Amino acid sequence: MNTTAHAVTAEEIMAFLDGELSAPDAQIVAAHLDTCAECSRVAGQFRKASQELKCWTAPGPALSWDSFVLRAAGAASGGSIHSANAQIRAKSWTWKQWALAGGGTAALLLLVLAFSMPNLLRSRQALLRQKVAFQDELQLPMEGSAGKANLSRDGQPITDQQSKTLSNLVTLSTPGIASDSSGLFHGLGDHAEHSFGAADALPAPMIARTVSLSIVVKDFPASRASLDLILARHRGYSAQLNVSTPENAPRGVQASLRIPVAELPVAVTELKTLGRVENESQSGEEVTQQHSDLLARLKTSRDTEERFGTILQQRSGNVSEVLQVEEGIARVRGDIERMEAEQKALEHRVDFATVELQLSEVYKAQLNSPAASVSTRLHNSTVAGVQSAWETLFGILLFLAEYGLTLLIWLAILAFPTFLVWRRYKRKLAAV
Amino acid sequence: MNELPNTQKKRDAADPASDEQLVAAFTRGSTEAFSELFARYNQPLLGFFRRRVADPAHAEELTQETFLAVLRAASRYEPRALFRTYLYAIGFRILRAHRRKAAFRLTFLGAAGFREPAAQPATDAEVVLHQAVGKLERTDREILMLREFEELSYSEIAELLRLPVNTVRSRLSRARMALRDLLAAPAPKSTAAELAESEERI
Repeated sequence: MNTTAHAVTAEEIMAFLDGELSAPDAQIVAAHLDTCAECSRVAGQFRKASQELKCWTAPGPALSWDSFVLRAAGAASGGSIHSANAQIRAKSWTWKQWALAGGGTAALLLLVLAFSMPNLLRSRQALLRQKVAFQDELQLPMEGSAGKANLSRDGQPITDQQSKTLSNLVTLSTPGIASDSSGLFHGLGDHAEHSFGAADALPAPMIARTVSLSIVVKDFPASRASLDLILARHRGYSAQLNVSTPENAPRGVQASLRIPVAELPVAVTELKTLGRVENESQSGEEVTQQHSDLLARLKTSRDTEERFGTILQQRSGNVSEVLQVEEGIARVRGDIERMEAEQKALEHRVDFATVELQLSEVYKAQLNSPAASVSTRLHNSTVAGVQSAWETLFGILLFLAEYGLTLLIWLAILAFPTFLVWRRYKRKLAAV
Repeated sequence: MNELPNTQKKRDAADPASDEQLVAAFTRGSTEAFSELFARYNQPLLGFFRRRVADPAHAEELTQETFLAVLRAASRYEPRALFRTYLYAIGFRILRAHRRKAAFRLTFLGAAGFREPAAQPATDAEVVLHQAVGKLERTDREILMLREFEELSYSEIAELLRLPVNTVRSRLSRARMALRDLLAAPAPKSTAAELAESEERI
């Protein structure tokens, strides 16, 4: 239809037939259709197309499912909408249900942990209490007579089984450590030596002790000087010492001190006088077994070296055999030296306790501390921001330089199959 | 489907409640309200799916899913649009999800994973009509079908398909003209495969 020759367009005729025009527009189109044969023909074609479409019927429903829908509706109105929703959603979970289920499971796990953890801790604590009670029972009669260590409080001899149990308890708990009235730990060897007669038969345990102290001091320079004095007095040394003096913040010292074991109780007591103790912990690691193993291996290696020496003195073989023996001697000698170094280090750890000390100053804010001006802070922030942005960009460039080519290769490899799959999917989507 | 009581039938005949009023009544707990909505839209909605999905069983499932979705969302329904538009919008979403799933299965599992049997038109006229409609561009076809079968207004179609009303009008006109031409052209003898393909395209 030539729209320039007609007052109305085909679209308007169609909209008129569909009842989608306003009343004035509809009147105009109706009047035009009465006078224009061509437009009437177009209108007839529209009507015909619609009528022909009407023959496309959809058969009636198989009503096997509507009762279910209505039942769901009944549940919704009989109880509540939410209960009906719950019933319906049971078929397929929504994200909320997944989240709820996940949260519930997590809460349940937390609950189980909350119940089980104290029980586990309690059993460990009970073990410790049992051990202490056992020791108390043993120590009372033994304090007066060191030679009667195998007597319990009521004068009954301690059986081998009880001794073994005590030994096991001590090993299971913090190895070789018991607390005295001053709060310092003593190694099992100390206790064993003065309270056990059985200790005569056993080698004294070797305990590597560690003490951690966190102290807040008022006068930082004085405390620093006192620390040096304490170390000198007790023949200790600092294995590591870091002093920090930041601006507008409290100064501090972090040090790892090594102090002879015999001096440890007194040294720690003196260290505590430097200020207010915020945190203190003491521990000990029993290295007896490690030391014994080392000695045994050392002895074996020395025996081997001795045998090699004997073989070499006899010189009964040819040159190659002599060379093999010399190689063996060199290897064994190396092992012996390494083990001797380990032995020394181990014994040093036992002889010198480690004190991890943290001294921090009581900070007093200074009222006259000059605060940076707004412009300075703005400038600094801008510079930091630009640097950060540049680093990010540079990082991306570096990443692309390093992996870009590999990524391109993989993209090239995967692009074609992906395109094929995508095209197939789109075709199927259009066809379904 | 439950029959409404005679007294209510008489009252509805005299003063039928609107769809929106029925939804509001249903959210307040009236089962009869939903029954009425179901009675009004059961057949049209099934027809909506039957014309777009070849397998009648799938069409029924999708109809059921749509009503269940309406049930689920009834408490959140706000009468900003006509219930009819709302219902078909849900139907469209469910239909799209069904098509995506079907396409995915066909792509990755092949015909063994998904087989959509073609509906069998009853008459020759229907065959020709199905073929003609199947040849239309997809959006034009949807607009034409929504107008002709679901009898939605231009603005409702525009809202449903998220298109401007003028676009809907021009595309509808184009679709009708194209359909007229296709129906006017002499119908070629179709093979069974071509027929099935046109059915699937719809």
